[in-house]
Amino acid sequence: MAEFGTLCLFCALAASGWAVIASFNGWRAQLGELVLSAERAVLVTWALVFLAVASLEYCILTDQFGLEYVASYSNRALPKIYKFTALWGGQAGSLLFWELILISYASLIVLTNRRRNRVLMPVVVTTLAFVSTFFLGLVNFMARPFVRLAFSPEDGNGLNPQLQNPFMAIHPPCLYLGYVGLTLPFAFAMAALATGRLDDTWFRTTRRWTILSWFFLGTGILLGGWWAYVELGWGGYWAWDPVENASLIPWLTCTAFLHSVMIEERKKMLRVWNLSLVIMSFLLAILGTFITRSGVISSVHSFTKSDIGPVFAGFLGLSTLVSVGLLLYRLPDLKGEHRLDSFVSRESTFLFNNLLLVGAAFAVLWGTLFPIISEAVRGVKITVGPPFFNEVMVPIAFALVTLAGICPVIAWRRASPRKLLEKIQVPFWALLGGVAALLLGGVRDVYALVSFGLAVFVITTTVMEFFWGARSRQKVTGQGFGGALLSLVDRNKRRYGGFTVHLGFILIMVGVTGSSAFKQETTASVKRGESLTVGRYRMLFEDMVSRESPNAEFMGARLAIFDGDRRVGTLVPGQNFYKAGQNPSTEVAIHYTLREDLYTILTGFDPQEGRATLKAYLNPLINWIWIGGGVLILGAWFAMLPDLRDRRRDAEGRLAEVESRAA
Amino acid sequence: MAQRISRKIAITIVLIVAGFAILFSVGLKGSLVYYLTVSEFMDPGRRTDLGDNFRVNGNVLPGSIERHEGAPGARFILTDGVKRLPVLYNKEVPDTFVDGAEAVVEGSLGSDGTFMAVTLLAKCPSKYEAQNRKR
Repeated sequence: MAEFGTLCLFCALAASGWAVIASFNGWRAQLGELVLSAERAVLVTWALVFLAVASLEYCILTDQFGLEYVASYSNRALPKIYKFTALWGGQAGSLLFWELILISYASLIVLTNRRRNRVLMPVVVTTLAFVSTFFLGLVNFMARPFVRLAFSPEDGNGLNPQLQNPFMAIHPPCLYLGYVGLTLPFAFAMAALATGRLDDTWFRTTRRWTILSWFFLGTGILLGGWWAYVELGWGGYWAWDPVENASLIPWLTCTAFLHSVMIEERKKMLRVWNLSLVIMSFLLAILGTFITRSGVISSVHSFTKSDIGPVFAGFLGLSTLVSVGLLLYRLPDLKGEHRLDSFVSRESTFLFNNLLLVGAAFAVLWGTLFPIISEAVRGVKITVGPPFFNEVMVPIAFALVTLAGICPVIAWRRASPRKLLEKIQVPFWALLGGVAALLLGGVRDVYALVSFGLAVFVITTTVMEFFWGARSRQKVTGQGFGGALLSLVDRNKRRYGGFTVHLGFILIMVGVTGSSAFKQETTASVKRGESLTVGRYRMLFEDMVSRESPNAEFMGARLAIFDGDRRVGTLVPGQNFYKAGQNPSTEVAIHYTLREDLYTILTGFDPQEGRATLKAYLNPLINWIWIGGGVLILGAWFAMLPDLRDRRRDAEGRLAEVESRAA
Repeated sequence: MAQRISRKIAITIVLIVAGFAILFSVGLKGSLVYYLTVSEFMDPGRRTDLGDNFRVNGNVLPGSIERHEGAPGARFILTDGVKRLPVLYNKEVPDTFVDGAEAVVEGSLGSDGTFMAVTLLAKCPSKYEAQNRKR
């Protein structure tokens, strides 16, 4: 199977290379058949890459430890599901997986555009196939998944126990779907620039793909945080680690694009800006993959240096050169048709929102790359600690949230300041009321007061927006309130989906604030029958317990949890001793409530004395992060559903194309 | 540009950018830390212009780990193959902290020559393929 996989990868490289050459020359020479051949080559590449992935999976599932990759990331005792996910456990496999996602997206683009966007498609295919060829080059020559070992070991090393977690099984695919998806708007932007078809086609075609990759990237980041929370055992979910930052940066620029593209749609403004954002997002996604996979920056996730660094840097440089060059070449054609003239208008809130998002992205990028930059410039590695990120990002987040509160009530073009003040009166009083209530409740933390106050403000404006929208629709159609609300939302999916996303983001902010401003912790070494307390919880250490599973042995401390005098549950934090692994892995136990989490860790135990060393955290409001994530996902999906208006526009577009071809 | 956007907007943009600059410089001030190898750190001529906090990277000397009894934390020796640095860490050690693991500690040098680590990151060497392939 391994030889078959190698062969598939080699043929895939050839097919993908052909797709680049054929589509590019087909475009230059206006040879439709050559372009068609390139598109078929993309589909062939997909089939070959799929077969290669399938054969690697087959080798992992059938324990062929003669392969270096299988021996490094799997072992006999590994459960089937984690054998399956071992595909992206290491560098070679994850690059191959990246390529599979890319070529799958590319194939979908080819299949859905057989009759549409025929002017743009040749360059789109060239771009996608070029990126695909690069990744195929990597897995063919640099990070090869099918390398045989000189001998065949009895058993493999096994997958890192921390990666044996359901979140870890879906977190990387999610992130990759996001990272790779950003290639699609980039490819269409390149096509628009190369062909000079700079109207709204390129971003209308990729709108859903962009939201989809934004959604996957965001979900991936959240899942990663959740995984860190339940698996890493330090009570937190985000550490401003380079690999985490790497996924956040393109997400921020993509968020900026999703906002500013609405301005271009309505006003034909910010066109250069939008193209720049799409180019940036793609380059940052590649940079993110590079940072994640190469370990160029010391990070919890990847310490070691690898040899793919220079190749990635070269690819990044070339992509930057070509895309920025094309953008500069078309600059004269990209003048906006309108000017931004009013300070108090929705356009200007979008402009400021973009500035803040890009500034945030730049801050995170700067802090992440600082060690490399300082090493290159001054010869010493200097790292930037989490305080930098917190100090910069918290004010930016507050400013962004304020805009999210004002934006829905401010009119397009030119809003009257008086009307605006009228409209934000209720939310403003709600804000003051909320802050006053918190002060009375004993909250003195300034950040928490600002954050919760802003949350009340934004939730009020957003809910009022839903309410008044439904009310005015009720007047027009004479429906009941519920029916009016449903039809209003159904007719403006993107608008109300977007507001829902805002609400989700606010909940995340509330959760982050609560769990960082009011966190409590305690450590104690206790004997059987003794207890420790954190916040209002008392944990009584009842006994040590042990359990055996197919690939590990578990030792844990059984704790009875009391809230006051009432017993609310039992937690068993412990450690897993893997049969294959060298070191035990900590298994935390968490008592979840909407108000707070009680998070317990067994850090050590002495079986003879019957003594356990325990650490407990109280994380207030933390579950609102995940709930907010759920709301965000819901809103994003809703915004992606097709609108009636879109369908009509699509039909018109197709008609126009047919007519122009007939003419 | 002056013709395409109103003055108020331009002023706000300038204010936002200035705000960024202030945030950046204030934020960077307290959070820059030198990232050194054990030998670089133990070199008496090392730079100290960023304060007493350092990040030091090395491997855990096999057999040097002494875990605290009844409390989290450990005492161990960090080495880069040339020099050795004794380290004291008083919080829960990560699962990956074992003999020979690559580790990064952040903290400052105590008066007795022991490095008082505030954070400890560790990576078990056998799991990382770039090393496997090379050796």
